Amino acid sequence: MKKRLYIELENCIGCRSCLAACTQCGGHEERNRNYVYDVNPLVNRQTMPLMCLHCVNPACARSCPAQAIQIHETGAVLSALVEKCIGCQNCTIACPYGIPKFDTEQNLMYKCDLCIDRTKDGIPPMCASVCPTNTLQWLTEVEIEAKQKQFNLDNGKWVTSMPYLENETNVKVNLPGILQGVTKLF
Amino acid sequence: MESKNVNSLDNAFASKFAKSMFLAVLGLIILTFIGTRMFTHVDLNLYGYMVGTIVFLGGFFYRFIAWGERPPTKIIIKKGIKLLFRKSTPKTSVEHLATYRFIWNRGIYRWTQHFLIGWGCLLSCMVTFPLVFSWMYFTMTENGYYTIVLFGMNIMTVPAEGLIAQLSYNALNISALMVITGVCMALYRRLKNMQARADQKFMYDFLPLIMLIFISVTGLALTFSNVFLHGWGHYAMSLIHQYSVIVTLIYLPFGKLAHIPFRPLSVFAKNYREHYGEQSMKACKVCGTEFVSTEQSNDVIQVLGVNEIEFKKEQFHLAELCLPCRRKYRIAQFSGFPTHEVKVKEANQNAKG
Repeated sequence: MKKRLYIELENCIGCRSCLAACTQCGGHEERNRNYVYDVNPLVNRQTMPLMCLHCVNPACARSCPAQAIQIHETGAVLSALVEKCIGCQNCTIACPYGIPKFDTEQNLMYKCDLCIDRTKDGIPPMCASVCPTNTLQWLTEVEIEAKQKQFNLDNGKWVTSMPYLENETNVKVNLPGILQGVTKLF
Repeated sequence: MESKNVNSLDNAFASKFAKSMFLAVLGLIILTFIGTRMFTHVDLNLYGYMVGTIVFLGGFFYRFIAWGERPPTKIIIKKGIKLLFRKSTPKTSVEHLATYRFIWNRGIYRWTQHFLIGWGCLLSCMVTFPLVFSWMYFTMTENGYYTIVLFGMNIMTVPAEGLIAQLSYNALNISALMVITGVCMALYRRLKNMQARADQKFMYDFLPLIMLIFISVTGLALTFSNVFLHGWGHYAMSLIHQYSVIVTLIYLPFGKLAHIPFRPLSVFAKNYREHYGEQSMKACKVCGTEFVSTEQSNDVIQVLGVNEIEFKKEQFHLAELCLPCRRKYRIAQFSGFPTHEVKVKEANQNAKG
């Protein structure tokens, strides 16, 4: 059963477990590849995670002159192949979300690969497996569809929604209903 | 689009591939004609390698012309060639292609294995190809002295038992030992290191190593057969060795080893970033930080356009924001609150592993 990473943004409490877990994934060389941001840092404590959304038509891979960014059969957009990456940093400029990180010393880009050694076998990625608040979940298509139905109200509004962002992504992001001035009921 | 001259030499060929292949083979023939003193010193014992090299060229051009047609690759090749004569090019080339400084920064163990494999292979290529096409050979006019002939010219005469002669005879033995050591280190790392084990694939990561070690061992076996077995099994082993070299050569442009001919692009990339960075830097449309050269920013936007990816917003293209601002802008799209407009530096995003 194909599963996807599914993000319910407003559940995030800013514990940064996902960052710590990311460092422990095999192949990540103990460096995290995801982010947690304060939404309004001077006013409140709301945070939201930001990770690679694994675009169906990834700008990073399209802009790579070396074909170092490969797309896995599961749809995951992989980190740069170490022997191919020539260090031009096109990908960091192209990515609409600012995800790829670059190591100048090693002349190498690295980005979220959705923990491909885990997810290719259906095991959730490190971030989703440790998230204590269900911000990051690992769900089947059916479960994601159920989520979508659950959050649509009868009056044509939604408490959360899952539109495309810049383009179609393999990770599904559930935007908080606060955008429509409604509060999500837990 | 640049206008093409109708009388251009390019029009003589059906395709870029045809032209490259024709010029490469022609070049080989001319070099060999000169090197062999008008085909009088051809070592036909090695003709198998000759055929293998031609087939390799076919695959090589097919692979790299197709790859060079990709829009981002085209840009970096075109501008890289234009910037080839920068003052920093020799230093960058040595660091990227000869001493592998960036691999040193990934780990001394990895650097050692890569240095041994890389220079072992380069050394053996520098010996093998001149021998195959007879660009280099040895003659003995006076007893006990070898004359080294390079491209038809007598380079030097050395005593047959001297140091230079010994190094020449054993160059391939030395390179074989380098490659075997390096490959063993690489295999050990791939079997033991959990970081490497996580995302390696047998066919992609192990197969080239196995092919290299097979070539090296069969090559050393030839020496072993000569020195210790009075040539027993030399004929069969030389064929095995020859086939293994040819298969690896033909496979080279298509697998992990493709990074060998392709790696000089990293020098192009460095020059590209340095040169246009000195000319003018792009300031982030939100915070004003200079984060990339204007040229590269425009190139990336153009390349994305070719791929029908358009990240145009009302006030800016997303590629015009520095990375932290682009991430904050995304959070703003998630929450509805303009996070990127709050003048606060992003919190530390690096967890300690």
